[in-house]
Amino acid sequence: MSNKVIPLEAIPDRSGHTVTIDGRNYLVMNDAMFTFYQRSMGELSDFFLALRDEKKILGCRCTKCGMVRVPPFVTRCPDCNFAPVETVEMGDTGKMLATPPITYFANSLFQQQVPFGRGRLLLEGADTALSVNIYTTKGILVPGLVKKGTEMKVIFRDNRVGEITDIFCVPAAELTADQLAQKGLTASALDWETSTEPALPPAGETEAQHFAAVLQELQALVGEMNGCERARKDIAGWHRTVLVKAAGGEFTLKIADGELTVEPDKTGPSDFVMVCPDPKVLLDGLAYRGSLTQAIMTRNLWISKNIEFNTIFKLERMARSLARSKKV
Amino acid sequence: MAKRVGIVGAAVTPFKGKWYEKTYYELAQMATAEALADAGLEPKDIDGVFYGIYNDIFQRTCIPEHPLQGIIGLQNKFGMRVSNGGATGAYTLSAAHAYVAAGRFKAVLMLGVEKATDCFDFQSMSATPEVIKTIGWSGDSFFEQKLGWTAADSYAEVVLAYKDEYPGDLKPEVTAQISALLSEQARSNNYAQRQFDQVTPEEVLNSRIVVEPFKELEICVYSEGAAALVVAEEETARAIANQTGQPVVWITGVGESNEHSFAGRNHKIMHRIISDHIAARKAYEMAGIKNPLQAVDVVEVHDAFVHQLEITMAEMGFVPLGNADSLIEDGLILPGGPLLLNPCGGLIYSGHAVGASNIMSAWSVRNELIRRRLKTGLVHGTGSTIAQYGVVLILEHD
Repeated sequence: MSNKVIPLEAIPDRSGHTVTIDGRNYLVMNDAMFTFYQRSMGELSDFFLALRDEKKILGCRCTKCGMVRVPPFVTRCPDCNFAPVETVEMGDTGKMLATPPITYFANSLFQQQVPFGRGRLLLEGADTALSVNIYTTKGILVPGLVKKGTEMKVIFRDNRVGEITDIFCVPAAELTADQLAQKGLTASALDWETSTEPALPPAGETEAQHFAAVLQELQALVGEMNGCERARKDIAGWHRTVLVKAAGGEFTLKIADGELTVEPDKTGPSDFVMVCPDPKVLLDGLAYRGSLTQAIMTRNLWISKNIEFNTIFKLERMARSLARSKKV
Repeated sequence: MAKRVGIVGAAVTPFKGKWYEKTYYELAQMATAEALADAGLEPKDIDGVFYGIYNDIFQRTCIPEHPLQGIIGLQNKFGMRVSNGGATGAYTLSAAHAYVAAGRFKAVLMLGVEKATDCFDFQSMSATPEVIKTIGWSGDSFFEQKLGWTAADSYAEVVLAYKDEYPGDLKPEVTAQISALLSEQARSNNYAQRQFDQVTPEEVLNSRIVVEPFKELEICVYSEGAAALVVAEEETARAIANQTGQPVVWITGVGESNEHSFAGRNHKIMHRIISDHIAARKAYEMAGIKNPLQAVDVVEVHDAFVHQLEITMAEMGFVPLGNADSLIEDGLILPGGPLLLNPCGGLIYSGHAVGASNIMSAWSVRNELIRRRLKTGLVHGTGSTIAQYGVVLILEHD
């Protein structure tokens, strides 16, 4: 990713074009309104410096009413006629104040993070909740995994810069007792590899036949995709081996720099696992009859690594590219 | 003693997904010219203007109202811009009402305008992600923007928290029915962005989830357009009404409330939209309304999301909290029911040209009060992070 505050690939060329409506021409200009900042964190500096340098979360306690606010967004308590507050160090576990929403469709600034939860964590001893990003180490983040009251642990990123994104949280139930007890637990100390695979329903002859039919259709579709220049571009430079598990069987989906292949069974190590009880969900998504993202949101498709959602995104792009190239 | 204040003229431009043909200058002038014509007035008869313009970034300029002052013929007169997130239009009404009620002016213009879809994302080659990003700058700049704050996930926070408390309410079948009903109502609004996009409840249920629990057909669409009202103090209003032959629609109740933007004890209660509750209570008190369901005939509620519309209706006292689905299940808003809800199609079908939206809603309520000879209407605006702002106005037919 670009290290600039505005990603270079987001910046358009200086140009314009004409749109004609009812015989009249209208000039449409590429443009931008941008401002750069050197912005002081002022009285909030202690909070952000503590995150960055000490892996600590600070709050503030009103010296009169005792209200503990996290983050410490005031220096005086507005409820006590502006009585002074004192800084307190908070723990790094707490409960979700409410069920958090999950973002799958993000604008260009957050494309790399999806899917992510954003919710309000009430740290132990706090009266107000801290807005935090929510992730899981056990596979893709889906609705229902984190709810009101779910116990969470704050995790510190290994590379911290002094921003609120220096921290995120994961369900406490995913951690060991030692990890839970550890202060300033970092992202690299977590096990991101061992996911909890959803169980497949028992499969019989019907499922096996369905699986075989879907696999055949999928192979034909993949052949079409490989013949479509637009679709190939969507996975240019991308390499992934995906083990797909469905009721009725398994197969391997290989993405190799523009080339997509489907191979029966497991073929050695895979980068991640995809579980879809009905393999038609995957087929429909790739055929642009359905949506893989919707299938994930509705828990009809599961992947073993949250970060691999960007592979799903690329596959959806391929599906769209093929559908659009057929239209032309 | 405050003066009575009434609406004597109103107009909207078509709300469109994109106005290639007009800048916000021209949209503002269009709405102004038509609202003044509706009131039988000229710019010289107007003492000042209240602009409702939400977002500088949308207009691609700071102080976006300054070029408008001369364009609408009100140079050398009072001009004040109001900007309060989604509730900008409703707050503009509130401000104009206060000035006229205080006796500062005889007749003023309220002008809402927004060009919400000029911004453009060059990576996806579409406007929507950039519109969402632009609104994303409205999240708390120290603690939330970098977490990926969006208007949709922010309102989803409130709705999900409400569902934590009342899991049986806001059923998908009901939100789908409400959206389908609004789409039918939009058919008679010639200015609506989606006038002929009628949908069935099944289509709503099958539309894609944008942020759980919001489906694509349960979310307002961003729009470009303008809306204008002319309001006047009693004597002037009556004189204008005599000329135009149109009855005055009086603003008899106004209430506003901005909640805390941080959540927790003594702060924002996540599962409530207490701002709507307080704003409604204040407006009812001023208008002398005891039972809103009995007193109010037509409501234009700011429907950013169908689920929030339902919660807002509960907060405003039309249905109980926890049983907002009775709007449909008890037939309250169905054709023939006691309440006309969002006859313009709401912002979901009419479009959300932010600063203009609530002013368009007031235009709609005034139309319905006059056309159907109804007595009392309500205009609502919501806005900012976690539905922090709420504004309610009561309008009454003379």
